[in-house]
Amino acid sequence: MIALLTMEMGKLAHLSSVRLGLVVLALFPWLWAYAPGVFDVYGFFIVSGYQVPALSLLSSMAFLLPLLVAIAAAELLGIEIQHGTLPTVLLRPVTRSQWLLAKLLVVSALPFLALAWFLLASLLAGASFGFGSFVGGTGLGASGLLGTGTMAPAAAWVELLRAYLIAAYALLPIALLAVLFAVLFMNAAAGALATLATLIVMELLVVFPGVTPYLLTSQLSAYAAPASDLGWVVALIAFYCAAFAAVAVIVFERKDF
Amino acid sequence: MDAASNRVTPAIETVRLTKRYGSRPVVRDLSLRVQPGEVYALVGPNGAGKTTVIRLVAGLAFPTSGTVRMLGEDPHERPSVRRRLGAVVEAPAAFYPYLSGRRNLRLHARLAGGVPAGRIGEMLDRMELTAAADRPVGIYSLGMRQRLGVAAALLTRPDILVLDEPASGMDPLSLHLVHRVLHEAAEEGTAVLLSTHHLEEVVAYCHLVGLMEEGELIDAVDLRDRRARFRARVSDVPAAVALLRAQPWVREAQRRGDHLVAALAPGTGAERLAAALVGGGMDLFEIGPDVFDLRAHYRERVTAERARRTAVDALAIDAESPRLGRAGRGRGGAR
Repeated sequence: MIALLTMEMGKLAHLSSVRLGLVVLALFPWLWAYAPGVFDVYGFFIVSGYQVPALSLLSSMAFLLPLLVAIAAAELLGIEIQHGTLPTVLLRPVTRSQWLLAKLLVVSALPFLALAWFLLASLLAGASFGFGSFVGGTGLGASGLLGTGTMAPAAAWVELLRAYLIAAYALLPIALLAVLFAVLFMNAAAGALATLATLIVMELLVVFPGVTPYLLTSQLSAYAAPASDLGWVVALIAFYCAAFAAVAVIVFERKDF
Repeated sequence: MDAASNRVTPAIETVRLTKRYGSRPVVRDLSLRVQPGEVYALVGPNGAGKTTVIRLVAGLAFPTSGTVRMLGEDPHERPSVRRRLGAVVEAPAAFYPYLSGRRNLRLHARLAGGVPAGRIGEMLDRMELTAAADRPVGIYSLGMRQRLGVAAALLTRPDILVLDEPASGMDPLSLHLVHRVLHEAAEEGTAVLLSTHHLEEVVAYCHLVGLMEEGELIDAVDLRDRRARFRARVSDVPAAVALLRAQPWVREAQRRGDHLVAALAPGTGAERLAAALVGGGMDLFEIGPDVFDLRAHYRERVTAERARRTAVDALAIDAESPRLGRAGRGRGGAR
């Protein structure tokens, strides 16, 4: 299994969508750090480097990050179909579920790796604002960007790490859903597209208040949720992840190649 | 599995193998056996179902009905049996294009659970790929990829080789190399099942040829029987036929035009046949192997099968037409 995981991580590094995503995520925070219209949109001026990661996350969790994660996750399977290497691997004495499980585990690491990179790029982009104590908030805590007084660097770090960790966790089912669709359609583009279509439909379902708390898309803003709501978020996302992974394995086990 | 049970258990066995996609049958009731050391070639027109059979046997596709056994095991129930399988199921063989040939083989070796040191270099050398071993596969020619595919398939010294068009798109030298390597693998005891269009090449070393048409095995030819056949021109053909039929080492003797054709028992050569004919008082003008023309046989069998199917379809339409006619007239009458 370790050999499989190492191989899959190697493949992940070769994906064009991953490389493109890393470039986009590296450049994106610079736009927000120096955008002239930040005050018009958010009603405040950036005063600390700790606020840039918040702006990056706020502006990308609705569409950009789900898009990048879905495409890269679908491509990790799709690349095997494109190169025709899927049957070659399955002919070796590796069970189908072992192989797909390795893919699912690597795909699960993808949101965490992407957001770690995004956080690093955001901090670099905000470096010119400094990382000392500042008056205001990170934008990722209960007090928002305006804050309630002076914020110490340690407190800012805690808010950033907590928010980025929860955001990565919220993207996890999207990555697994993309793999599931890629397995169903045996095509990376169709897998990514179906995932995005599902997310768009879920966005539209907010007109049904009864289902809103259960939607994947509702969890995308969980990084700003109070601690009391996190138990529900964690459980719901875990359920989605388990369901998507299980269905993907079951379908993959019975596929003809 | 011990050697004794290997002798009775076929390396590859399919029993009434059927595959349908929706209602469309792609493979129908196909039964075949390949023993260790045998080479079985599946031949047939494009779309006959050869690739599907290869994929079913390799365990990549699931049969709709019927069974596939690899050394007596179902490859779906016991994936570990694939440790003894080497296969090329894509044409051209598929590899990660950004990795070199050598690194692709290393990856195969890891997936297979490891190979002895030096085996990768040995296979690259055997397939004449040493010079290109460290270049990315993405820049390999079609023939080089195919040769790398055969190298990957043979990497673990498998008991079974399953290959789909292993020599497609190759130049004559590469083609000869691949068939020579497959022949050598069979001589070392590997069971080989391959699909191919290269009839001249496979007839030289294949033991069995299965002819497929529209998903069915329409004929299976044992080339070992054909190789032990000789043709002779003698002064008195009927007398020679009678003489040979009395010999225990002659399996079959018959007249074909001005010639005598004899099928001999295994291990019997043309020298013995010539000696018997001369010893029996015949004038022997000419003797040589009765070469089996697989291409002509293939053409004849496929054409005959298509004619048979057309006739069956025509009969079915004829049987259906009175009923349709009555229905048509009925509708016409109502109008």
